[in-house]
Amino acid sequence: MNTDRFAISLDLINRHYQEPNRNRFESKYFWEELYPLIRASGFRSIEIPYEPVWQFGGRSGVPMNRYCINTKYASAAGYRAALAERGIEQVTGVTFDPNLFMRNESLDFFFGAGGHFAGEALAHAADLGADYFAISPSPYYGRAAHYHPDLEDKRESFTQRMTDLLAGLAEKAVAAGVVLVLRNEYWSLYRGEAILPLLEALPDSVRLDVDTASLTIAGIDPAAFIEAHQHRIGVVHLTDTAFVDTHETWKTANPEFPEHRATQVFRDPGTGSVDLAGIVSLLDRLGYQGPIVMSARQTRDPFRALLRTRALLDQLPH
Amino acid sequence: MPNIRYANMCHWKSIPYRRIENFREFYYEDKTNTAYYSDWDTILKYQAALGFDGIEIAPWDLADILPLFGSPENFTAFAKDRGVSVIGMFHGAHASHDSGHFDEAVRAGREAVDTIVRFGGSYMNTCPTQNHYGCGPLSREEVQQCAKVMNEIGRYATDHGVKIGLHNEFFCAINLPNHRELIESTDPKLVHYCIDTAQISIMGEDLLTFYRDYHDRISTFHLKDTASAKQPDSVRYAQDPEITDDGTRWFWEPGMGELDLKGLYRLLKEHEFKGWMSIEYDGSPDLLASMALTRYYLDTELRPIYD
Repeated sequence: MNTDRFAISLDLINRHYQEPNRNRFESKYFWEELYPLIRASGFRSIEIPYEPVWQFGGRSGVPMNRYCINTKYASAAGYRAALAERGIEQVTGVTFDPNLFMRNESLDFFFGAGGHFAGEALAHAADLGADYFAISPSPYYGRAAHYHPDLEDKRESFTQRMTDLLAGLAEKAVAAGVVLVLRNEYWSLYRGEAILPLLEALPDSVRLDVDTASLTIAGIDPAAFIEAHQHRIGVVHLTDTAFVDTHETWKTANPEFPEHRATQVFRDPGTGSVDLAGIVSLLDRLGYQGPIVMSARQTRDPFRALLRTRALLDQLPH
Repeated sequence: MPNIRYANMCHWKSIPYRRIENFREFYYEDKTNTAYYSDWDTILKYQAALGFDGIEIAPWDLADILPLFGSPENFTAFAKDRGVSVIGMFHGAHASHDSGHFDEAVRAGREAVDTIVRFGGSYMNTCPTQNHYGCGPLSREEVQQCAKVMNEIGRYATDHGVKIGLHNEFFCAINLPNHRELIESTDPKLVHYCIDTAQISIMGEDLLTFYRDYHDRISTFHLKDTASAKQPDSVRYAQDPEITDDGTRWFWEPGMGELDLKGLYRLLKEHEFKGWMSIEYDGSPDLLASMALTRYYLDTELRPIYD
């Protein structure tokens, strides 16, 4: 498989937990220095994690939403040109999770604000020329349960509202020429195979996002999952982990930081226990032609992670 | 008891752990310094070790603190066990200049006061409205509307044992042309002032003159230095000026910029200021180093003038 076409996610830079303060991540210069380094490590395409939060409070140097891009580059086209000058040829995809909007007892607020910004993010993905828009159909289970202790009682109605929201996005995605894909993080209401009924309720145009570490943590063998659902896969995230969820961390309010034992849940690719080489071989054998994205979303050192990721890919058969 | 007690405005941003019990194991996972700044236990110990008895939290901390600790009271007890008191919380009074937003601005302000009370704090340093870009320049009526909101929140705060202090950023819609007008339009019994030494200097106020003029309104400080005083309108009124594109820092640790902080301390002595001085390190890439540098400067340069 030609690993040159693999993208890398900008979740490499964790704006929230990677280092004390975060002001350098909020400056345009940081990102414009980063893009050539990404290219130097062999990646030509990136994925953008869409974060509405940077729209508020004057932090528009973070290139994670439409407002920020328009502030700093006038338009998506301006941003794409700036990326191209620095060796990044494509924004492969845009991801979106609604955790920001799970902040009170109002599900109307969650679906209203979350739906609005999901629509913004999808339109932004189209403007950027992205192949896919990957949405998490659930907030952190634990965060939702914090504000809705009766979450399980509400599951059916929550799922119906989410299905309606996603169906609307699916229609817009088709019109925009972007593939809508569903993420199924290990902390989701729809973790592991629980994503499948939701997917079945949506048009065929909607695809699955395979996240190898998330599936592993949820107790699903990613290779078996890929084989079983190969025709519905829209994007593969090659993530790594060594975490075993023995304490139902997935149900906690901040599930990437296990309360009972501090650990880095998502390890830099190649430093965990997921057989990423085996997954790549499998995708090759199955003739998978869709996007593949490397992610080091919780790295403690993004520049080391960038090179570790390339070192891993260099070891794979070409 | 010293006249001035020292706190830190919390700029660590998100701290994911309450206490890392498996510190060595966590460190060995990737052998970086992450373990040294990922839990409240460690950060509060840094504060206590460096003589900062207070912490001023920020709204951006709540999303992590509340689920981690279960309640504001639990966080306060945890901090107190490590020798640190919660002195208050920052608040942004969004759109308070807009009469159509009056109820919402007052409601949000009251809720923030309630939160501070639960944390055991007594200060709410409050940015009077949002950035100049997008809503400035304000009319006289809009400034008065701002004052009306501040008075209303201030009344509620005072009734609950909290002092609200106007806190003006250099890029706010309340800016040099109407900064003093707002202060003077508020009720001095209900609305106080938090001098952010760098912010008001960048905005164009002379720090020492401002303190002389308003010393009887000052509830607390955000003490920080700057090398960028008196910025022009084109900078202050620009879109998103707080974080610069090229990494230029507006704010420095006390003594690392150009403000006459020793002159300020002479005035504090003259007017016998008593209260909390919150140090703010926004812009720093290394908050622990900033805290230590600040402690050295306080002990060797400022506290000998007035303590």
